[in-house]
Amino acid sequence: MSLRAPTRRSEPDAPGVRPQMLWSLRPRSDREAGDAIASNFLFHAFPAKVSKASMAWNYSFWLGTISAALFFLLILSGLPLLFLYVPSVERAYQSVKDIEFVITFGSWIRAVHRIAAHGMVIVVFLHLVRVFLTGAYKNGAGRGQHREWNWVLGVVMLLVTLFLSFTGYLLPWDQLAFWAVTVGTNIASSIPAIGPTVRELLIGGRTIEQATLIRFYVLHVVILPLGLGVLFAYHMWRVRKDGGLARAERDTLLERPAETPVVATKTYTLLGVARGQAPVIRAQALEAPETTVNAVPDLTRRAAIATLGTFAVIGILSVFIASPLEEPANALVTPNPAKAPWYFLWLQEIVTDTTIRIGSFTVNGAFVGGVVLPGLLIGLLTVWPWLDRSPAAATGVWMARTRGRQNTVFLLVVLGILILTFIGMAMRGPYWYLYWPWEAWPDIPARI
Amino acid sequence: MEKRTNSPFPAIDRPVMAVVGVVLVIGTGLFMWSDRAHDWRFYQMEFAQLVADQFGADKAAEVPTGMQQIWVADLERADRCTTCHLGVLWKGFEKAEHPYRTHPEAPLKTHPLEKFGCTSCHGGQGWAIDTAAAHGQVAHWEEPLLSRSLGESYTLAGDKNALMQMNCNTCHRYDRETNGATAINLAKRLVTDKGCRACHVINGYGGTIGPDLTEVGDKAPEQYDFSRLSGQRTAFAWHVAHLKDPRALAEGTIMPNFNFTTEQAQALSMLVLSWRRHDVPARYLAGAPRTDPRSAEELAAEEAMKTGPGRWFVDTGCFVCHSVSALGVKSPAQIGPDLSTAVEDTQSRFGLTVDAFLANPTGTMSVVLSRQIILTPEQKQVAVQKLREAFAEHQKQRAAGVTTAPAPSH
Amino acid sequence: MSDPHPKLPADRRDFLLKLGAGAGVAALTAQGAASLRSLVPNVSYDSPTTVKLGPPADFPDGIKFLPDERLFVFRQGNTFHAVSAVCTHLGCTVRAEALANAQTTDVGGGELRLTHRFLCPCHGSEYKGDGTNVSGPAPKPLAWYRLSFAPDDGQLVVDLADEVATDFRLTLG
Repeated sequence: MSLRAPTRRSEPDAPGVRPQMLWSLRPRSDREAGDAIASNFLFHAFPAKVSKASMAWNYSFWLGTISAALFFLLILSGLPLLFLYVPSVERAYQSVKDIEFVITFGSWIRAVHRIAAHGMVIVVFLHLVRVFLTGAYKNGAGRGQHREWNWVLGVVMLLVTLFLSFTGYLLPWDQLAFWAVTVGTNIASSIPAIGPTVRELLIGGRTIEQATLIRFYVLHVVILPLGLGVLFAYHMWRVRKDGGLARAERDTLLERPAETPVVATKTYTLLGVARGQAPVIRAQALEAPETTVNAVPDLTRRAAIATLGTFAVIGILSVFIASPLEEPANALVTPNPAKAPWYFLWLQEIVTDTTIRIGSFTVNGAFVGGVVLPGLLIGLLTVWPWLDRSPAAATGVWMARTRGRQNTVFLLVVLGILILTFIGMAMRGPYWYLYWPWEAWPDIPARI
Repeated sequence: MEKRTNSPFPAIDRPVMAVVGVVLVIGTGLFMWSDRAHDWRFYQMEFAQLVADQFGADKAAEVPTGMQQIWVADLERADRCTTCHLGVLWKGFEKAEHPYRTHPEAPLKTHPLEKFGCTSCHGGQGWAIDTAAAHGQVAHWEEPLLSRSLGESYTLAGDKNALMQMNCNTCHRYDRETNGATAINLAKRLVTDKGCRACHVINGYGGTIGPDLTEVGDKAPEQYDFSRLSGQRTAFAWHVAHLKDPRALAEGTIMPNFNFTTEQAQALSMLVLSWRRHDVPARYLAGAPRTDPRSAEELAAEEAMKTGPGRWFVDTGCFVCHSVSALGVKSPAQIGPDLSTAVEDTQSRFGLTVDAFLANPTGTMSVVLSRQIILTPEQKQVAVQKLREAFAEHQKQRAAGVTTAPAPSH
Repeated sequence: MSDPHPKLPADRRDFLLKLGAGAGVAALTAQGAASLRSLVPNVSYDSPTTVKLGPPADFPDGIKFLPDERLFVFRQGNTFHAVSAVCTHLGCTVRAEALANAQTTDVGGGELRLTHRFLCPCHGSEYKGDGTNVSGPAPKPLAWYRLSFAPDDGQLVVDLADEVATDFRLTLG
């Protein structure tokens, strides 16, 4: 009882002094709502007030929050796996079998980890599509906004997510893992001049062996998650520095009377030092009661719904969807067909069709489809905010008319990737022959 | 009191939050259920009931519960079969249904569970604890249970249970005959009788006209040409059909048709498929030598030493350093003097009778007799008596002109 | 703001909503806690406690150390007994050191010739040849384990889970 201050809802004695141990999730006043943000470690990433428009389910679809929730879930489910999995070529497969069969809740934990990982690739990608289609990498009226940098960060985070998933792919040490990594790393080796060295560095030798396993393992459990965590924190910090979601810009743009003088009411720097460098957001748009709500409890509640909802969906799916585990890795037998992880299948599809022969000169398709083309796409994606010359009014607007052409091209590329991925997933059978999805593949013969 | 900004969100979001809460509760329920929903829990209950009915509640309490595992570190096999097949080692369930049936006793005598596990003979997936996965009838498991029903699916001509003999031959590969493996034995005789080695390398030697068959059992099923085979598309079915009529499956082959009967072709297919690369520890391989080879003469001499008149010196350990040539005992080390003349030797070297020397030994013998070979006074009496016998025998032989005792070495 | 459930009193509805959300969070917490059950092993990869040690003829009169089982097997004529080599202090393997003069004492009601003593390399505990702790930090004597002959092939079998008193002797024949 005495831990808490005399009354939970008492007014602070002095500015900055908060006699309450606990914050209120249901503040009675705007000041209490602000206090909740200021006195809670988890909430400190949130602003005190958020624009109503950027809270809408159908603007952002909360894809960023869901990605973060999935990342959090992956860390949580990864922790017990860290205790149970043995990263050695002799024991890895057996330890995964143990997780599947005899560890209590083991197969569920593995399924959570796997489904969340696949889900994260999908959701992070959708997040990127959303940001592009809403022109959310564009800056608005605030000073010091650099949304284009946050976009670049986002592209890097997508790549890290893919690499995280790819490094996790090898760990079960089954046929699926072994050959997906064989195909994947051989794409790297098709880079002229430095390719073989890159591959050798990646897999720690010329063949996929113990050295590869431990490299991928350390990348998967230490380096990449740490990196992604840092990038995530930076990503969130930039969102705050840029004045929230781009959707909020529309309120500012629409409602700002032309002659209103700029009033610096809020600075977003640590301790308020370097005043003037921070983005100065107009008080009117950001704090006006008609356009904003308190972050506590409205933003926190929706964030909780998105997070808990994600957990619930993944948890239930994991009861019913079993994780595959093929035969133990065997360097002598290539499975037919051998497929890369599904999110790389569009590349594998391109790799299949892009070996170029000019006279006696042959360019490996792996180089064109696996290095040049994705390299170009990622490069273009990275610099796109600087190429996008659409007016500021297109910021934070779904399918703005002024961005119609680029949105169409972007969607066509996305559609192309999706179609190729679908072909790779559902329509490629033994020897990479095309089959209709409903067509049965020839029976795979057995030993006995 | 300051005012709080009105918000439109709680009215929508709080019910959504409550729904998410309910879904989470459902999810947790499913999660708990997923752990309980395993066949083995039911089978363990059933078996305990079976034991209770037959032997009483006291015995039923001894039935183990929870997952069972036989871990054979040498073979890297973790077999959980006994989680359901609880009756394997219980007497009295010989006629019970599977999975409660008692395992026949004879094979387990020579192949104890703790040394072989289950799957090294029976096949199947030992890691699994659910029926389909454990019996290997799932994708991505290439070692199905070599059961009677699998044998029936191939309509084996002989013993329907014979497929299991393929696994016998993992260790018994170099046996000429393996007790109980009738199909494999038949096939091995056929390999010799029909001269397969004229064309094929088998177990390391043979002709090179046909392919090397030493590890043909590991050939991936996909590498067989099934285009002319109807029916089951398995390597086993291919070999049976190919052995019965080589030309029907492989066009232009020069392998003759031996007119094998179905039983012979099936037995040969089992043998052929059992020729795999296996990392079996040497002590599991039947017939692998585990000692230095010794000649017949050496063995006979050792036997004579153990059973002959010098037996006492061998049993006591004296022979390690001392020969007793008069009694036919030859020391492997010959560090000490021949004991045939010990009675004389102690006198000339130490100035003591044998009795006195043994009672108060000096030098090396004092160490040996206090540490390695500790003799009671009674045993020392025996020693003296035996040494006298040896000396008597020595003198007898010398008188007869046989010189067995070498000159004293020091 | 219109209430979608006008029939329910506001506070009861509030309670139901809280219950829903609260139960969800509680369920999630339970799920997380239950997942920790995965760290409790269900199957054992330890070596079995009952081990065949070899035919009795392989055991010479006196002492034989079996490093795999961390066990001393003693043979005195036709009787066998086994003493653990695991120090009762902190579990190091003790070493046998031959005594200059073997002494015969009464152990558990039977004569035993003690030819060795045991010294622990970790903290200097010392035991007599029958396992009695003499000096050092060892809190109790070395364990004696049950020996038997395997019914099938007559090998000597030790049960490392079955500790016996010092009067235990296994007699051959």
